[in-house]
Amino acid sequence: MDPAPASSPLLERRLIVVSGKGGAGKTTLTATLALRAARGGQRVVVVETGESTQIPELLRPGHPEVGYEGAEVLPGLHVMHADPFAALAEYLETRIGMRALVDRILAFEGFRELMRAAPGWRELITLGKVWHLEQMQDAGSPRYDLILVDAPATGHGVRLLDVPRVAASALRGGPLREHTLQVEALIADAERTLLLPIALAEELPVKETRELVERARSGLSIHVDRVVLNAVEPAPFPPGCEDLDERLAALPDDLEVLDLPPAATLTACARHLRRRHELNQHYAAELSGSVGLPTLRLPYLAGGIRGPESLEELSESLEDDPA
Amino acid sequence: MSEQSIGERLFSGRIVVVVGCGGVGKTTVAAALGLAAARAGKRTLVLTIDPARRLADALGVELGEEVRAIPLGAESQGGSLSALMLDMKRTFDELVERFAESEEARQRILDNAIYQHVSDALAGSAEYAAMEKVYQVANSGDYDLIVVDTPPAKHALDFLEAPQRLVDFLDSRFVALLIHPAFSAGRLGVKLFQRSARRVLQLLEGVTGLAFLEDLSGFLLAFEGMASGFRDRAARVRSLLLGDESSFVLVTGPNAEALHHAEDFLGRLQSFELPLAGLVANRVRCWPGGRSAPSLRDPAAAQASLSSTFQERGEPIGTADSRARATLEMLASYAQRVRRDAASLAVLQPRAEALGCFLREIPELDADVHDLQGLGEIGRHLFATEPQRPDGSMEDPSQRPPNPPGPPKANAG
Repeated sequence: MDPAPASSPLLERRLIVVSGKGGAGKTTLTATLALRAARGGQRVVVVETGESTQIPELLRPGHPEVGYEGAEVLPGLHVMHADPFAALAEYLETRIGMRALVDRILAFEGFRELMRAAPGWRELITLGKVWHLEQMQDAGSPRYDLILVDAPATGHGVRLLDVPRVAASALRGGPLREHTLQVEALIADAERTLLLPIALAEELPVKETRELVERARSGLSIHVDRVVLNAVEPAPFPPGCEDLDERLAALPDDLEVLDLPPAATLTACARHLRRRHELNQHYAAELSGSVGLPTLRLPYLAGGIRGPESLEELSESLEDDPA
Repeated sequence: MSEQSIGERLFSGRIVVVVGCGGVGKTTVAAALGLAAARAGKRTLVLTIDPARRLADALGVELGEEVRAIPLGAESQGGSLSALMLDMKRTFDELVERFAESEEARQRILDNAIYQHVSDALAGSAEYAAMEKVYQVANSGDYDLIVVDTPPAKHALDFLEAPQRLVDFLDSRFVALLIHPAFSAGRLGVKLFQRSARRVLQLLEGVTGLAFLEDLSGFLLAFEGMASGFRDRAARVRSLLLGDESSFVLVTGPNAEALHHAEDFLGRLQSFELPLAGLVANRVRCWPGGRSAPSLRDPAAAQASLSSTFQERGEPIGTADSRARATLEMLASYAQRVRRDAASLAVLQPRAEALGCFLREIPELDADVHDLQGLGEIGRHLFATEPQRPDGSMEDPSQRPPNPPGPPKANAG
């Protein structure tokens, strides 16, 4: 095997929980990190918590969705779907020992009704599975070097991380409490675990991310050492042309050059891009300053995320990793 | 849609429910609708359940647990605007206080450790609390119109479905058994149910420990007798929201997540007969002037020609060339954004036509919305009288995306 290129410190953790609102780019970031780690020779497993898996298709267009049992999508890169009922079945089987009995419990409508309404257990069982993945060994060494969790979008993923603490205090004893405490210990271990928030560099996402970091520091006891800002708009013009906005604005509004739109339109487009760029920069600086953490900025890709090539492009901007 | 204006359609009822996934600007649209209604002379309340305080941010005021009046200035015409940020836990506590059978039952619930931890996490409780508040204020007579900013949810219809699920759960036989393990009824079916259920409980006890089941039982016991009150209220609120005096506005945006959510919502509309008034696509990158983004026939020639223009204005040839190139690249990049958004949103037009509801696009503004002026601008796009062009954009020079930063200036186009 080729000598693996040095991984960035970010990827030296055992567990990274990628957290952010829907549309912030969580899944894209998770896939990018997975790709990068696997390229660096790490054995990676990605845990997707949505309704279905998206990362296999992102990494290998045409790849079918993956279930709870997982699949090796690229060499050294596994993806699994953290289906709560499948995880529950697996957990109950380890406790009760008989799969047939577990299946009967899970098929029992009263029980399903209870589980559909009951809060917290989905998060708990998902983290339980993550803990299990962290513990798994093959011939004395960990099966996976890196576990990446694409956290649920609701409530900024805080609920996911908060549940072990709440559950441990609601459970007065019993084996479930013991297991919950083990999960809690993994989450709180700064050596092994990192919370990686991702947000758009806009007002409300930045505000919410600041609150998330504050929660991580005060209540959640999960380590966070940087935040990722996604889709940061570049300046409209490259270096050397910084004052082009003004040059365009100086042209007569109705000037038309060949089939170009009138000068007023050129100016309008440039002004909009400039303002979005400035807003992004402003909020990026504000976030970085208020939480006292470095920010990692992923560029806005005008063509959208189109498969592995886009991820490669994003992966390159991770080179400028500040931490 | 018909000749009836969007304002007439939305503001003739008593309730406007704004739905959509998180991050699309639902709260901003709700606040803009509220402001427009107030300016049209309605006594309006905007109700939000959003813990992220978006409504407060959009209105540029602090919001607490009490209704807050928003000063409108001179142009109110008898209307008024108020805002309320719902404290879910408090509303739920109030419910417990109302429906609990006795003082003792009430205290037992509020003191229960599981209630304290999970009342806000119990599936459906946020939606239930929001619906409860809507019902209260709708019947208070204090407002002509209530604009409801629904809680962010995985599924658009959770707002309607979740309360029912909560009630069903509290009412379920399994829960009854957790409460009264010794309860026995004569019918064979019930006995069989109980036998299986008891077996399941025994097995679970081995997993969770007895203490947890005892606490859970205590928690559910505390809710005993409340289910019928809950059920009755949930049904009333539901018929209020699905009735003639209510209309729904779905907010979406050009990103995949938002559109997926919107599709999910529209796909399940049929089974609800939900009074959907319109679709709003927020934060759309538009080409200035509302035309679709042009494709250049000969970009190289255009670049050369633009370079000559710069040279005529005294730029050295090298500078002029790189400026022309940078301009063309900027233009292409902006056009790509505009086309991408238009392509994503193209699915909405036929849906809106089929449903007979309005479709409005709000361009991405240059600045964040923080005050009534910004909300007014959103409102102008919502209630623009110009017909929408086939590409979905509007022919209105004032909607050019590049409005100057800061307070919008009078822009003659």
